[in-house]
Amino acid sequence: MSIYKTAIEKPVTTALIFIALIILGIFSLVKLPIDQYPEIEAPYVSVMTSYSGNSSEIETNITKYIENTLNSIEGLDEMTSTSKDNISLVSLKFQWGYNIDEAVNDIRSALDMVTTSLPDGCSRPMVFKFNTSMMPILMYAITAEESYQGLEKILTDNVTNVLNRVDGIGNLSISGAPERYVYVDVDQEKIDAFGISLETVANAVSSNNMDLASGSIKVGKEQYQLRVKSEYVESSEINNIVVTTTPQGKKVFVKDIAVVKDTIKDLTLDEKIKGKDGCRLIIMKQTGANTAQVCADVQKMLVEEIIPTLPPDIKFQLINDSSDVIRSSVNGLAESIFYALLFVVLVVLFFLGQWRASIIIGVCIPISLVVSFIYLLATGSSLNVISLSSLTVAIGMVVDDAIVVLENIDKHLQRGSSPREAAIYATNEVWVSVIATTLVIVAVFVPLTMLTGMAGILFKELGWIVTICVCTSTTVAISLTPMMASKMMKTRDVIMEKLGKGKTKQEGAISKLYKRTVIKGLDWLDDKYAMVLRWCLKHKAITILSIVIFFGISLIPLAMDKIGMDFMPVSDQGRLTVNFELQRGTRIEESAKIAREIEKEMVKNNPEIIMFSTTMGSNDDAGLTSLMSSTSNYKGQMNIRTTKKYERETTIQDIAKRIRTQLENTPEVTTFQVSTSSGGGGMGSNSVDVEIYGYDFDVTSNLAQQYADMLRTVEGAKDIKISREADRAELQIVFDKEKLSSHGLTSSAVAAYVRYRIYGYTAGYLKEDGDEYDIRVRLKEDNRNSLTKLEELTIPTATGNVKIKELAEIKEYWCPPTIERKSRQRIVTISVTPVDVSLSELAENIQTRIDGVKLPEGVKVVLAGDYKEQQESFSDMAMLFALIVLLVYVVMASQFESLSKPFIIMMSIPFAFSGVIFALLITGATLNIIGALGVILLVGIVVKNGIVLIDYINLMRDRDYELNEAIALSGKSRLRPVLMTAATTILGMIPMALSTSEGSEMWVSMGIVVIGGLTVSTIITLLIVPVLYAIFSKHGERDNETQLRKNFIFFDMADDVVFDSRKPIEEHND
Amino acid sequence: MKAVFIAFNQGNTERMEYLLDRLEIRGYTMWEQVHGRGTNDGEPRHGSHTWPEMNNSMLVVVEDEKVPELLAKLRLLDHRNLEMGVRAFVWNIEQTV
Repeated sequence: MSIYKTAIEKPVTTALIFIALIILGIFSLVKLPIDQYPEIEAPYVSVMTSYSGNSSEIETNITKYIENTLNSIEGLDEMTSTSKDNISLVSLKFQWGYNIDEAVNDIRSALDMVTTSLPDGCSRPMVFKFNTSMMPILMYAITAEESYQGLEKILTDNVTNVLNRVDGIGNLSISGAPERYVYVDVDQEKIDAFGISLETVANAVSSNNMDLASGSIKVGKEQYQLRVKSEYVESSEINNIVVTTTPQGKKVFVKDIAVVKDTIKDLTLDEKIKGKDGCRLIIMKQTGANTAQVCADVQKMLVEEIIPTLPPDIKFQLINDSSDVIRSSVNGLAESIFYALLFVVLVVLFFLGQWRASIIIGVCIPISLVVSFIYLLATGSSLNVISLSSLTVAIGMVVDDAIVVLENIDKHLQRGSSPREAAIYATNEVWVSVIATTLVIVAVFVPLTMLTGMAGILFKELGWIVTICVCTSTTVAISLTPMMASKMMKTRDVIMEKLGKGKTKQEGAISKLYKRTVIKGLDWLDDKYAMVLRWCLKHKAITILSIVIFFGISLIPLAMDKIGMDFMPVSDQGRLTVNFELQRGTRIEESAKIAREIEKEMVKNNPEIIMFSTTMGSNDDAGLTSLMSSTSNYKGQMNIRTTKKYERETTIQDIAKRIRTQLENTPEVTTFQVSTSSGGGGMGSNSVDVEIYGYDFDVTSNLAQQYADMLRTVEGAKDIKISREADRAELQIVFDKEKLSSHGLTSSAVAAYVRYRIYGYTAGYLKEDGDEYDIRVRLKEDNRNSLTKLEELTIPTATGNVKIKELAEIKEYWCPPTIERKSRQRIVTISVTPVDVSLSELAENIQTRIDGVKLPEGVKVVLAGDYKEQQESFSDMAMLFALIVLLVYVVMASQFESLSKPFIIMMSIPFAFSGVIFALLITGATLNIIGALGVILLVGIVVKNGIVLIDYINLMRDRDYELNEAIALSGKSRLRPVLMTAATTILGMIPMALSTSEGSEMWVSMGIVVIGGLTVSTIITLLIVPVLYAIFSKHGERDNETQLRKNFIFFDMADDVVFDSRKPIEEHND
Repeated sequence: MKAVFIAFNQGNTERMEYLLDRLEIRGYTMWEQVHGRGTNDGEPRHGSHTWPEMNNSMLVVVEDEKVPELLAKLRLLDHRNLEMGVRAFVWNIEQTV
């Protein structure tokens, strides 16, 4: 028994199966996390090793070994490394979608083999996996007035500890909160005068700060624990600690030789919110957590639970909220889907003129769509820009099958069949061709699921969703649709006239009106189209020629490079990140002062800025964190939030441009980058990288500088950055070994002494309310702020004190730069961001410029960066396109049982691009990867329309119509379904193309591509497919009669032929 | 006794069954999904892509006096919608078991 018959005979079962499906789908929808993009595991792994040595020593002894070992790891795409003083960092990029856990395991075992060849004293290489949850999802600026000094404690106790309870929250960090420190600033001259060393002071301080368990005491029947406790309760107690006693018997107190300061840590990290003291709260989520949900929960908890418990002067201000963009993108797209749904139902109602039919078809849409939610949940994906765009794409397609089935049912009903019979027999007639057209769509979209690389991650979901949606819609069309039709559609009442002539009864006023207006209009359109078609068939040459000329014209803008291509659209999220660099070695206090100037000017120029925070410096100058952090004493970062996109007239790019001009005119700033997208996994960024490979530092650095100067004159090239840092000045204390040994000292001992005097000696902790604060003994600032003072440092020896200058020389010295390598070669990268030009245009301009420069010996220059990624993606897409065309050909050829007919449809595909090019040209939009998605959709629709037309022409010819007549009649009859598909899709895309919500830059281009492409391609397909058909076919090609006569000659033989019994009649003698 | 061979569009199956019931004709044999082509006009019923529709056919054996009534009703059904035509042919039954 067939599926449709079962469905019609068991309406309850059928209805309940689909209701269950809807419930499952809605359940999945509720459970689905909301995110910007499909979860992408960034394929980056880093290996960090430390060893003492300068950058070139690190390069030869560590980095090279590790690189050579890891070079053969499976799935490796690109290997870069950084060799800094004391640290080697090798970064490996794997192919997108490669299993990173497996890669990490491989890396570990490869490293185990190399550890023996690494030099002694080198640390065990550490393997880090880059994690998307390392990207902050929320950032708050926290300002305080009176409570500023105690901010760190308040925030840890009342904010971070509470927020950690939020589900899905990852790491919480506070940047720039003032840390409490107790400094004991020792006066060099005074301790020298008393003949004591700094270490003595430090020991005195720490030995008076103890809490020691000293055994237990048994008293009678009881037993007590004994503790010696002498801890500082207040920092001022340190003042009265006795350091030593002079030979004269006079006690020397700490207060005599030093100043005790209970204060906040010396400035190494300067964090200002709108130029005022403050700090930032940075919130990250766990991998796989729902960003929108976490953000909402955090905000709720902040407002409801946290802020009421804080002192009133502490203010929270949002700097950035990534859920904002996600929510508005998802809402924007959801709105588009809703409109698309509405439009589709209206279009169906318009063309069919029956509300019952429109409802039956309308029901088909949500069912097909919710099934994709089940898929998304099952694969652990989310509701994101890609999955929602895919749904919008699918909406126009899922109704087609149901329409075909319903139209046929309606035809049977009009003849007076009962709904039940009409449903069974009508479905029986069309179900095979319904499945066949679905196969074509599947052939277009299934190859998408096989894409690899970055594009693969984006398109996989589209491929699956559309495939699943159309397959579901086909199932619905041959089960639920006939079932509903059998229950809901009505038999036309038949009036029997006198002599048995039956005819269907006239309908009500509305349907009369509908018939008089819409049907009449559509009939008129059908006739006109048939007329045009007949003319074209008579003038095939002119038609083809003019269409080809039209296509040729449309190629001109492409040839003239008027159509820009971007990998990912840069979206206006109302956020800016400014990185700037001052003269190397600028002290943090100075840098902060300059930053304030820049801020003041920036706010004056840009009234759109509502919030900004500036970070200068880093928490720990030499530590591991400094390797990761983008700021240091002379490098700053500003996070800026502007008003929302629709609240201002200027674009974020305009604001960025103004800031760029301002920074260009600020003499203290040496280099800067202004980026309009923050975070987002680097997917929103666009840059062209010029990579210079070469061993010699001077040659490559000079060339890089030369290029950078040259590129500044290239139009649209902004934010030019050379990756290799300029040489850095350092002060070095160079010991004289002989003098050291004559004083009985060793280098390491003196190094430690120097560190204690400058950096400080941690002499225990001051405990308060369960928190510990460092007590740091060091020289007072006056004793360590010049070269001469450094030379005057006193080093204690067994025989008395010596000065540093007696042991060593202090030299100013240029340390070698950080050595960057890529693919095991030294490299300098110049990255350039395009402004007002597309990435491809900029890349071409840069290429021509650098081609003009003669390269020195042994130097190689290549263009890379996002440009390369874009090219790879586009070439992947081209491959994919070829695969699609091939598969579609296979499906069509088997459908028509002809090798030549599919070419007719194939040849109409290029014309779809004319519309795309014109639409892009008129709107000035660029083609990006989401737009390319629209192009694939176009191919699907063009092919489908072509099939509908050709299939019908074949049918008409089989029904013995003459070739041209068959074509004209089919055109007339198929115009409505073709227009219907086009209208549903175009109308569905209009809200997308016009949308201005945040993040809409992503899909506007897709809307434009589809609307432009479909409008033009529908018109052209309607003309070119029939004309090509006429050209490709011969009259009488499908005239089976002549063919048959040839096969069956027995019939035409003369009756009186005398048969020779031994000679058979040769029937098949063609 | 007469044998009446009836060929009709599938879409008339329910009506045919009703018709026989009303005429109190109990016995019949039906072949579903049969191919055919009308003598004068109308679309062929081939169940193919070109001509997707199909016929059913029935052989009804009735008493002689029932035949005119049956044919009259079949004519009404035929004229209800000419596109879904009904055809009937009558001949004699020689013997039965």
